[in-house]
Amino acid sequence: MLVLAGLVVSACGADAGGIVITDARLGLPTGPNAALYLTAANDGPSDRLLGVETDLAAAVEIHETVTDTDGTIAMHTVDALELAEGDTLVLEPGGLHLMLVDVVRLVVGDSVVVTLDWEKAGPMPIRAEVVDPSDTLFDDG
Amino acid sequence: MLLVLVALGACGGNVASGELQGAVVDAPRPKPSFTLTDTAGEPYRFAAETEDKLTLLYFGYLNCPDICPVHLAQIAEVFDRLPDVARDAAVVFVSVDPERDSPEEIRRFLDNFDSRFVGLTGTPSELDEAQRAAGVTPAVVEGEGDEYTVDHAGWVIAYSPDGQYRVNYPFGTRQSEWTNDLQILVTMDGS
Repeated sequence: MLVLAGLVVSACGADAGGIVITDARLGLPTGPNAALYLTAANDGPSDRLLGVETDLAAAVEIHETVTDTDGTIAMHTVDALELAEGDTLVLEPGGLHLMLVDVVRLVVGDSVVVTLDWEKAGPMPIRAEVVDPSDTLFDDG
Repeated sequence: MLLVLVALGACGGNVASGELQGAVVDAPRPKPSFTLTDTAGEPYRFAAETEDKLTLLYFGYLNCPDICPVHLAQIAEVFDRLPDVARDAAVVFVSVDPERDSPEEIRRFLDNFDSRFVGLTGTPSELDEAQRAAGVTPAVVEGEGDEYTVDHAGWVIAYSPDGQYRVNYPFGTRQSEWTNDLQILVTMDGS
């Protein structure tokens, strides 16, 4: 079993305003789009994630996968993500994710940078590792 | 039916428990017959081509980065652990987005996971018919423009080698559950 170490980004800006990002990982692009997941813990003032900037894709959208009671899966665009003081936001497979649209070709092991745009904390560059899609899931033993 | 407990002593994490851990259906149903087109442009008669094989069927689309690649990557990883099971199995991915997913792109997509995975496409009515035959609600396009999404069945359907649909696997199924179940399903060959 592959154990993914938490990726704590301590570079300048990555913990602005009390928000700390861990476990940032990008599923290997296998089609036109790719999904980036992460955990954001906030012990500062409440904030909102408005968007994401990157040179790796034509655009980045905030999406949520929703599974209906009959097992049908739908994906919706989300305008912004709230992160209250003391809360943790988890972006993970099957739920919230950042979708990189028309993403460049990457390989497993690549390290990429995207910039999270927080309403109050401002731009926050973070680093994410490109992993096999099966390794985007934790507790997948 | 007597379930044979398969223990692979060499790899400690691959021992099957004897019970299926996926979502077992109320009553087994025969594998459906439908014909779609494979990535080489040839007709693919699903029941005939997968006869006597442990078969996994999944309906998805390439613009979906969150669920579809994870399902297929998990299966590929489990197949790496169980080469004897993989050898006689068939994984069939049907794109429910014929507007955007060309046969060439489907083939490129699947080769990220395993070049043995079969990719299928078809006309909207053929795809509709195939999904209904397989017992899933046909996919529905949501939104307009280039970035529409497709609502689709999120589970993988599993047929044992005797041609029966016995169990399905929703998103979130763990590799340990796949590993357990595939070793059990492969023994259900009607003998």
